[in-house]
Amino acid sequence: MKLKYFLLTIFMGLMWGSYAQKYITKSGRVDIVSNSPLFTVEGVNKKVASILNTETGELVISMLIRSFEFEEALMEEQFNGNYMESKTYPKSIFKGRISNIKEIDFAKDGTYKAQVEGKITIHGVTKDIREQGLIIVSEKMILAESEFYIPLSDFDIKIEKAFKNSIDDKVLLKVNFKFNKQ
Amino acid sequence: MKLGQKIILVITGIVLVVGIGATCYVFYKPHRNIAKEKPAFKMEASGLFGEFNMNEDLGNEKFGDQVIQVTGKVAEITIDDNGISIILNNSMEAINCTIDAQYEERARKIEFGDSVTIKGRCDGFDMIMGVVLSKCILIE
Repeated sequence: MKLKYFLLTIFMGLMWGSYAQKYITKSGRVDIVSNSPLFTVEGVNKKVASILNTETGELVISMLIRSFEFEEALMEEQFNGNYMESKTYPKSIFKGRISNIKEIDFAKDGTYKAQVEGKITIHGVTKDIREQGLIIVSEKMILAESEFYIPLSDFDIKIEKAFKNSIDDKVLLKVNFKFNKQ
Repeated sequence: MKLGQKIILVITGIVLVVGIGATCYVFYKPHRNIAKEKPAFKMEASGLFGEFNMNEDLGNEKFGDQVIQVTGKVAEITIDDNGISIILNNSMEAINCTIDAQYEERARKIEFGDSVTIKGRCDGFDMIMGVVLSKCILIE
């Protein structure tokens, strides 16, 4: 019995060793904001998954479109129905890397600039993307933040004629992840 | 009052009523009430995961946007500023339930290993999160 625990401890130790550079969050946050002269549309997804490999810089982000919440029920319906067509395209994915990962010291507290590049898939359309973000390292966690605009037309998301003037083609995405250090 | 004035008054009235109605419809339409909806499916957590894992597209087609009631063992509880998530089944084959704000108080009493029944809206499936259920409520 004791041997079993001994082996288990060693096994866990090895597991920890091999996974030490990988950080996971399942409750990341992405806000979308669309500003226009008439009104502001805001939605939030608090269930965004991400894996960050601090050794290689690899970064994966995955989120379900239906998990976006809006203050107005109708907006939520429209977002899922006409715009994102969540029935056909239930999720959005980013696969890429932090290209300047060597400049970020995950062992030292501080705020670092991060260059992120990779492929983003929204509404079934995949595009190359290159954005800037911040990595904030502290004793207990790694925070990852970024804000950037996405043109709806790039991703084949159509706006009805009636709303052409009230919905801007450029939508602001605010990304906020908290990776816990084990 | 002249006939012309009457007509203008009536038309103005109609436009106002329709306008206010439309505004109310847009801004005050209530959100879907998951608590009151009858579940389209009642199943074990492992069974729901299995169906999505076998074929994600079929899983989305069958369960996407549906209210599902699942029973399973609590494998993980996450409490942070983004709310409470309860993970059923196991961490690798998870049913990831976001608890509705109104049920957070009760969710805090749940412990690791408890067997619980949760009802929520199915948002889909992801390799990291597993099957995601939103606006979840706890069933006795």
